[in-house]
Amino acid sequence: MRHLRNYIHAFCLTALLLVSAGIAFGQVPDPGAPGPLAVTREEYNFGDTAFQPSNFPGPVELLASIHYPTNLSGGPFPLIVLLHGRHATCFVGGTQLLQWPCTANNSQPIPSYKGYDYVSEVLASHGYVVVSISANGVNAVDNRVQDLGALARAELIQKHLDILKTFNTTGGAPFGTKFVGKFDMTRIGTMGHSRGGEGVVRHYVLNDSVGAPYGIKAVFPLAPVDFNRFVVNNAALNVLLPYCDGDVTDLQGVHFYDDARYNVPGDLAPKHYVLVMGANHNFYNTIWSPSSPFPGATNDWLAFVAGGHSDTQCGTVAGNQRLTEAQQRGTGLAYMSAFFRAYVGGENQFIPILTGDAPPPPSAQTSNLFVSYHAPDDPNLRLDVNRLLNDTNLTINTLGAAVTQTGLTPYELCGGEAPQPQRCLPDQPNARQPHTTPSARSPKRGLSQLKTGWNNLTGNYNNQLPAALGNVSGFQAIQFRVSVNFADARNLADLAQEFRVKLTDASGSSTSVRVSNVSQALFFPPGKVGPVPKVVLNTVRVPLSAFGGVNLNAVRSVQFTFDERLQGAILVTDVAFASAPQ
Amino acid sequence: MKRTLINRCVATAIIVLPLLLASGSRVFAQNSNNKEVPVKELLRLPGRVLAETKSARPEGDLRLTGYRVEELKLPRTLNVEIRGQQIAVDRAWRVTVTGGPFPVRALPAVIWIDDQIVGNGIENEALSQVSAITFDSSLIREGGIVSISYGEDKETRVRVSQRVQLKGENQ
Repeated sequence: MRHLRNYIHAFCLTALLLVSAGIAFGQVPDPGAPGPLAVTREEYNFGDTAFQPSNFPGPVELLASIHYPTNLSGGPFPLIVLLHGRHATCFVGGTQLLQWPCTANNSQPIPSYKGYDYVSEVLASHGYVVVSISANGVNAVDNRVQDLGALARAELIQKHLDILKTFNTTGGAPFGTKFVGKFDMTRIGTMGHSRGGEGVVRHYVLNDSVGAPYGIKAVFPLAPVDFNRFVVNNAALNVLLPYCDGDVTDLQGVHFYDDARYNVPGDLAPKHYVLVMGANHNFYNTIWSPSSPFPGATNDWLAFVAGGHSDTQCGTVAGNQRLTEAQQRGTGLAYMSAFFRAYVGGENQFIPILTGDAPPPPSAQTSNLFVSYHAPDDPNLRLDVNRLLNDTNLTINTLGAAVTQTGLTPYELCGGEAPQPQRCLPDQPNARQPHTTPSARSPKRGLSQLKTGWNNLTGNYNNQLPAALGNVSGFQAIQFRVSVNFADARNLADLAQEFRVKLTDASGSSTSVRVSNVSQALFFPPGKVGPVPKVVLNTVRVPLSAFGGVNLNAVRSVQFTFDERLQGAILVTDVAFASAPQ
Repeated sequence: MKRTLINRCVATAIIVLPLLLASGSRVFAQNSNNKEVPVKELLRLPGRVLAETKSARPEGDLRLTGYRVEELKLPRTLNVEIRGQQIAVDRAWRVTVTGGPFPVRALPAVIWIDDQIVGNGIENEALSQVSAITFDSSLIREGGIVSISYGEDKETRVRVSQRVQLKGENQ
């Protein structure tokens, strides 16, 4: 009978939350839907060897496409710059080559920069100018330099921004004065794919180091590498992580988010990442995808992961969860569009998609993805309860209040600074634990996480709040990041975990919410081959509106109550009250 | 970081070469007259073949056909750091894995001998071979297993079937 009441309660709460979400966010438009403006596509090309990055062993082309609203009378328009990643540079017939310029007989360039036209067209139709840069010259020789081309890519972006500035001020060939006054160089977003992902981060740092002549407001590394561990501070960040990435198998790009969280006090920029289940590395670029006519196009999971075909999540066996090319590009389109339109264009209506408060829009073509969000370092937007950065945080949280636990084992931190163990899952390969995968060109450690588990229904993890900080009524949610630890046998394979989040106020009144009522983040990480399963900590945001009966002006504790499953094991970090950016 | 990958002499092989490579075409600082050896030149420098295998039957997904270990006599003496010590060297070793076409990936190719990293692999234009260079002669040893991975994950290494067999006086 008690169980029945619990189920009814859970059902009602779920229904209430869903209805609330529908009311609150049902009107969120689809950022990836084509806009009303006609779009023109052109290119500029100053030659295959027109640019020489500093201390780089080869010349680079200055070639880019530019998508813009055909009717330019409404400018200046925000600017989005796209940069592809590492791929073969030239081809002859069905043969790919790695050279630059393409000098082999009858060889031609592989136009990787055209691979994101599907994003450019939509953004331009909403009033953005989108420039996609060709970087074959970098790709041809970047393995010969220590940073694997990050600085060369950054300098290439900066060079293109210089060119665009010229178009925007005095004008210049091949466009004459067409674009004079049409680019808003104070509102720029950058997206880089693969090595281009690190390139846009490196560019942000480069631009900042020279006085930020260009207003980079938002940086979107897509399936990025992070060899060098540069950090984006004070600009919006969104990292897209394809769960079935067969190239950057360790999803090392999650470091961009992890490293940026508490890096600069007062950083008012929001940070996000999106874990896309069933997505691989290459399908985000049409030129790199199997439907492309160009050599070198592959399904990277199948091509690069030994035995990858047989994986239940990422392979080709019956029941696999792989996304098609179109579906996968849908996720890229939806989340790039939402991100740039929100943080470059100021179209704040899309923010709930980025915080996870609104579901994936129809253009994403899948709902099997997980959004994580780190709120700006503004006391009105984020109150860190427990950053879980060091051993002190096992007993005293970030607010200076007591932390207690009952029945948890282990109860320890891993992944962060020494003396924490470098990896949280010591017997698992790096590719299965992205937050702690080492960086060959940086000594930085990974994400500090609480590694814990329970063996009966009495387990709990409790963070007190000082009375002076107990008024959390101004926040939207209590949130944290969590993953099921697939390497701990207390989690049954393929079965989602469950626990409750309980708030207690000064009068002792408390209410708890099952995680599954608001998030599917407690899924058992799927897959069995090579880089999968893998632990990626996804954000769970529990709206404070769900804690009816608790005085949100005087909350005294946040508790995770492990009484929904007899046993289990999780990794947790970043417990905070938080709101979406304003 | 798992220090086993960056220890002993391998650390120098991993760290020194890329640091030298960091300035791209201005690569190998020379200790005497400040002239430098471009990496392009080092990759093309004729070498003395110490060991080599060639198979007519490509193996595995990377279609590996063999390897080649060459000793390079440097045009000038270089100061490099090996195992924490600055050492003047006049020789380097180029380890090349053949086969392919090797994919052009985000993660760099890494060439190993046994459990030691020789260095990041650099593809040739035809993508039929990947070469890495080291100044550490201790990596070049009889019976070593040559393998290649993308990234430094040991578990994903693909090995060349034949072990290193040094020729004659090089053993």
